[in-house]
Amino acid sequence: MLTAIRVLASRFLGLFRREHFDHAMDEEFQSHLEMLADRFVSQGMTRDEALLAAKRQFGGVTQIQEELRERSSLAFIESLWADARYALRQMRKSPAFAATAVLTLALGIGANTAIFTLIDALMLRMVPVEQPQELYQVQFRVPQGGQPRDSITNALWENLRARQDVFSQVASWGQEQFNLAPGGAVQRANGVWVSGEYFGMLGVAPEVGRLITMADDQPGCAGVAVLSYDFWQRHYGGAAAAVGSTLALNGHPFTIIGVSAPGFYGLNVGGKFEVAAPNCSTRLLDGDRPRLAGRSYWWLRVVGRIKPGVTPQQLSARLGALSPQVWEAALPQDWDKDGQNNFRHRRFFAVPAATGLSDLRQDFGQPLAVLMAVVAVVLLIACANVAALMLARATAQQREIAVRMALGASRLRLIRYLLTHAMLLSAAGAVAGLVIARWGTTMLVATLTTRNRTVFLNLSLDWRVLAFTSGIALVTALLFGILPAFRSTQLPLTAAMHGATAGRTDRTSPLRRWIAAAQIALSLVLLITAGLFLRSFTKLVQLDPGFDRHNVLLVNASLRSTNLKSDQYIATFDAIQERLRALPGVAAVSRSRMTPLQGGQWSNLVFADSDAGVKAHDDTFLNAVTLGYFAILRTPLLSGRDFSAQDRAGAQQVAIVNQTFAQQSFPGQDPIGHILRISQSDGTKGPPIQVIGVVADAKYNDLREPMKPTVYLSVAQLTAQQSTNNSFELRSTLPLATMRGAIEAAVASVSREVPLEFYTLAEQVDDTLVQERLLAMLSGFFGAVALLLAMIGLYGVLSYLVTQRQTEFGIRIALGAQPSSILRLVMSDTFAMLTGGIIVGVVLSLATVQLLQKMLFGLSPHDATTMLIAIGVLAVVGLLAGFLPAHRATRVDPMVALRYE
Amino acid sequence: MTERKSEVFQGTLDLMVLKTLEAMGPLHGYGIARRIEQLSEQLLRLNEGTVYASLLRLAQKGWIRSAWGTSENNRKARFYSISAAGCRQLAREAENWERFSGVVGRILQMQSEG
Repeated sequence: MLTAIRVLASRFLGLFRREHFDHAMDEEFQSHLEMLADRFVSQGMTRDEALLAAKRQFGGVTQIQEELRERSSLAFIESLWADARYALRQMRKSPAFAATAVLTLALGIGANTAIFTLIDALMLRMVPVEQPQELYQVQFRVPQGGQPRDSITNALWENLRARQDVFSQVASWGQEQFNLAPGGAVQRANGVWVSGEYFGMLGVAPEVGRLITMADDQPGCAGVAVLSYDFWQRHYGGAAAAVGSTLALNGHPFTIIGVSAPGFYGLNVGGKFEVAAPNCSTRLLDGDRPRLAGRSYWWLRVVGRIKPGVTPQQLSARLGALSPQVWEAALPQDWDKDGQNNFRHRRFFAVPAATGLSDLRQDFGQPLAVLMAVVAVVLLIACANVAALMLARATAQQREIAVRMALGASRLRLIRYLLTHAMLLSAAGAVAGLVIARWGTTMLVATLTTRNRTVFLNLSLDWRVLAFTSGIALVTALLFGILPAFRSTQLPLTAAMHGATAGRTDRTSPLRRWIAAAQIALSLVLLITAGLFLRSFTKLVQLDPGFDRHNVLLVNASLRSTNLKSDQYIATFDAIQERLRALPGVAAVSRSRMTPLQGGQWSNLVFADSDAGVKAHDDTFLNAVTLGYFAILRTPLLSGRDFSAQDRAGAQQVAIVNQTFAQQSFPGQDPIGHILRISQSDGTKGPPIQVIGVVADAKYNDLREPMKPTVYLSVAQLTAQQSTNNSFELRSTLPLATMRGAIEAAVASVSREVPLEFYTLAEQVDDTLVQERLLAMLSGFFGAVALLLAMIGLYGVLSYLVTQRQTEFGIRIALGAQPSSILRLVMSDTFAMLTGGIIVGVVLSLATVQLLQKMLFGLSPHDATTMLIAIGVLAVVGLLAGFLPAHRATRVDPMVALRYE
Repeated sequence: MTERKSEVFQGTLDLMVLKTLEAMGPLHGYGIARRIEQLSEQLLRLNEGTVYASLLRLAQKGWIRSAWGTSENNRKARFYSISAAGCRQLAREAENWERFSGVVGRILQMQSEG
């Protein structure tokens, strides 16, 4: 072993002593030969005879020198270096070939790197904290509850923290969007509530000042805040004086105590925290309904550092064993018996949290996997193109290769050279690909960002991305390099040396047809995939959601952080609505508690007194609206009446129900006049609510779900607690940007403290389609790239075949063949490749598209229309690509063609 | 193309070179070739160049050292000498060789049974 290392080291040093070694060897051999010759002379030979005899006895001097040279250093590296230099020279001689190959590869490798970078950033990267692999997140299972959940109440957290003995440290945090503006347009900051242990457990250091500790997180604490490094740079220019100053969060002053170190963005992958405040200070914002005390307020997530010596299995088992006491101690007293029973049987367990947590993973995990497959296919097609290019190059270099082989270069040596050439091209492609990927990922992340969710991912290069890119560059080089290398070194020497035209000895053309057909097949798979996603997206966009999203502005206003008393809320909203109605350009204004597809839902158990008795409907969606809401959203009122000014607080409570609710609760009856009751938080039924109208169904939460039973209440009849937050719907043809100033001024004339958020309904709907848009856009783009590459491939093969058969065509034309028959001859080649490619492509698609099922809306993965369109597009473009060379074939001048012979 | 000599032959040659250097002290390539020729009583005719391949192998393994000097008839020559590691290796190899040649010898003298 040691000896082997010593030999390797000696050889490695030999790499740098080549000249010295050669010189010494020459000298040594020379003196040996002369000593031998001296001996022969002394035995009676002449000097000349003696020298000759000496050489004979020594053996082939050159061979031995060669053998020693090879042994003296790492011959492999030396010849590799020589090959590389030669390949570079070749590339400089034909820059067009090199540029085309590198560009094609850069596109393929770049696309793969871009998607992989996203997967890495979202799924694989460890959070940049101390020993992330020791971190575990606490989740829990609900009896018959499906997916595990991870948000818990403060009571659960405090009990868990007090009783657990398997984490060396454990911390909780909750996310919050803070508003930094004192009033008017909202200025959002990504906030995080943290328990006192949070920063210490993660081992995050302060950049300036200090971070939140246990001392800051005590009942009745004052408001303190820690800024993230980025936020501090952006808002305070990195001034140390920021520490000690005050920051208003939702209108409440918080003292800045420090800034966290750069590079720490929190545990939520996909977002980044900007302001952190201790859990205890939520009470400053919560008013009379503190979440610290709310036993039904699920806002905290828990992560802990596992104790040394505890296995993950033991951790989960122990948390499970602790669960009964913890849940019992945090039982919400206002839940009904069933609810409490369910609550008591919830069980904790732990999952690894080294890569942080992310809501994005669920949404984008699958789409990213699909995109990864798509770009892999694009790379395959790109490989095929470059392989075809290499084959063409090799044909051009055939005579040179033949000469080198005749001079004694082994076939293996030549293959090695050709592969080195391929590696160089691939490496250049990878470098350019990394640049393309950087640009591409930044753009991709931007498309993931919506108004409600700013996506931030750490996209800096890490070893995984670099390893991935180098890996695919290597595989790519082998893919496109091996076949041409073997093919082009397998040729009858004499024919090639005689300089017979490439066509005669070229046996690569069947191979090229196969490559072109394979490209067509693969690009058809991508076209079909793209078609499915595009059509699925179009269906969603064109779907009638039950409301008209155009020309509706949404203004969300919250009164929670104002100085208003809660019994003034409804009157204040009424006043604002009046001012908005008076604005020029506003046709109508309504107000509601929820807006369509805003994300989040308000639902409850509803009892309906139908003619057939009382029916209970779990998960009935609720909303509260004013008169005019349905008219503005253009949701037709099917029967009964809209709300009116008489439906105010204190009057008989009324409701309008949607069609689905009417059919479910009052089958075959007229729902108008019937009574509903909504379940209260203590499990009792609420006051009677009379149904006064029925409206058409409209999507509530998600365009993809079926219509849900919905009950609309009157805003004026809500409790004060339910009225802190309202949205105004303004029907106006003016763009939001124009209206914004006037709206802010109108609201400010009522109160300057009201924070406002602006959307258009169309944007709000669009933002729910990010995933579909991403898939449609990218698969469409890559489908087009694949088609382009395949067509370049097809065009290349046909042009090549036409050039090869130029003489034949010349003769045919000279003998009186019509151009049309020549055209038919070439086009039949095109047909053959297209047909073969399409058949294989269809079979491949049928076998794979099933995987897309879950991501499609309103169409089957085997959708025939999509498939036919894709085939049609491919066939038309393919025939066009084939027509150009075919047309050229008909124009062959017989005289010119024959002169080549 | 160079013919690849069998591993056994290479090993044997290396062993002979090593033993020669141990027995004779520092020697140049020519001298080693002469000594082997002499001891083998002309039975083993080798291309003398292969001695150098052997010397390079041994040098890379650290079993011999070399230094430039002047030969007896006043020519510049490289003198090789065995190192301490080489001596140890030689002892091991010699023992192996004796055991091996003994076994081979016995097998070759085996009578057919029956």
